[in-house]
Amino acid sequence: MTSTSKVSTVANKDAVHRVLLGKKQILVTEEEPLLVQLERAGIHVEYQCREGYCSSCSIKLLWGNVSYPFEPLAWVQSGYLLACCAIVKSDIEIAFFD
Amino acid sequence: MSYSTFNRKHFDSTKEPMFFGENVNVARYDQQKHPIFEKLIEKQLSFFWRPEEVDLSNDRKDFQRLEEHEQHIFLSNLKYQTLLDSVQGRSPNVAFLPIVSLPELETWIETWSFSETIHSRSYTHIIRNIVNDPSKIFDDIVTNDEITKRADSVSKYYDRLIEMVNIYNTMGMGTFHIPGKGDVEVSMPKLKKALYLTIASVNVLEAIRFYVSFACSFAFAERTLMEGNAKIIKLIARDEALHLTGTQHMLNLMASGRDDPEMAVIAAQCQEEVRNIFIEAAEQEKEWATYLFKDGSMIGLNAQILGQYVEYITNIRMQAVGLETCFNTKHNPIPWINAWLVSDNVQVAPQEAEISSYLVGQTDNQLDDSDFDDFDL
Ligand code: FES
Ligand SMILES: [Fe+2]
Ligand SMILES: [Fe+2]
Repeated sequence: MTSTSKVSTVANKDAVHRVLLGKKQILVTEEEPLLVQLERAGIHVEYQCREGYCSSCSIKLLWGNVSYPFEPLAWVQSGYLLACCAIVKSDIEIAFFD
Repeated sequence: MSYSTFNRKHFDSTKEPMFFGENVNVARYDQQKHPIFEKLIEKQLSFFWRPEEVDLSNDRKDFQRLEEHEQHIFLSNLKYQTLLDSVQGRSPNVAFLPIVSLPELETWIETWSFSETIHSRSYTHIIRNIVNDPSKIFDDIVTNDEITKRADSVSKYYDRLIEMVNIYNTMGMGTFHIPGKGDVEVSMPKLKKALYLTIASVNVLEAIRFYVSFACSFAFAERTLMEGNAKIIKLIARDEALHLTGTQHMLNLMASGRDDPEMAVIAAQCQEEVRNIFIEAAEQEKEWATYLFKDGSMIGLNAQILGQYVEYITNIRMQAVGLETCFNTKHNPIPWINAWLVSDNVQVAPQEAEISSYLVGQTDNQLDDSDFDDFDL
């Protein structure tokens, strides 16, 4: 049994992506979900479960790609991402409420 | 059409809508139309807990030392939560089981209701531990004006749906004269509308109405008071997060037309009504906050802050079901609450455990508003 055979979203260890949020720009990697990296940058993001089942961390994804290492239990609206479990896969732009 | 506990027809349940199709016959999960509901069942079972496992002996001492207005805040919240979970421990079963058509959803409804009965039992556990005469508190729930006002809003959609389904199951479609109620029209669109509005009001109950008391419980615990209670509330909040995801899935599946095209039309027609259910609940919760703090606030929390939190959380919940947000509060006025709400799952991976301890350490300085100055929230 190989441990990598079923991994669909292999993290690119060296990749760094830009996250645009209003006038801010944050650099993130693919090694951790977006939420922790935003928090480390001093940005408060609403959360509850941090495991993909409550939808509290839902943020608008204006453009760019994210992927989920596991399918979240919460419903993900189109045009949104769940910050607690989304891995950023390209440069992206996000927004909180309008 | 009348309800049968074992429908004898042969049919493929994966072709049925979530509700108002065939009654479920075989409880089978080998083929599922919406596998999400079985995932919710598994998650809910993994959350199983027993109130008696939480030690409340210090809470009794803490409670006696609380100021009178703080005791009022604590007990009123407990009464309100008792009401909400009394409704939730039975109503999904009574209202939804007679009309559900998918085995995985039927079992989710039962699992969901069961977890609410744990919540109800936990209130008795808390009340027994902090006061000498629990019946004084329980008896007040049906007579206290502020509570009974809310009982009507949380139960009326359920009651209407149950009544219509009862008529439908005994009489079929048509307009019927019901003594004391006048003429009641029963048609499939009317039934589906009543169902959709009920699910919206349940979503509001679990996703918004509980959060005022959660905030108060955690505000006590921030001062290292009533910590056993806070532990129980954390477990309840974890369950409620799953329940609200369940109703969000139902609402979103219905509105998307992926489950039942007719339901999508109805969802679109009652969008304004659903918006009003959210807004009305938010206003009632803000009023509730005023009632809680009528004799004095508590450290870190007052009616105004709590009101803003209600608006903030309502925006989040509306967005989650595809509604436009309706309040101007764009950020969480009590960000420390999230560190309390986060699930302390014993099975978390070491990496995740690190994340949550890192967060507990940083919540205090999250309050700084200057963090928000550079960008538009
Ligand atoms: S925090 Fe619960 S889904 Fe992200
Ligand atoms: Fe509950
Ligand atoms: Fe619930």
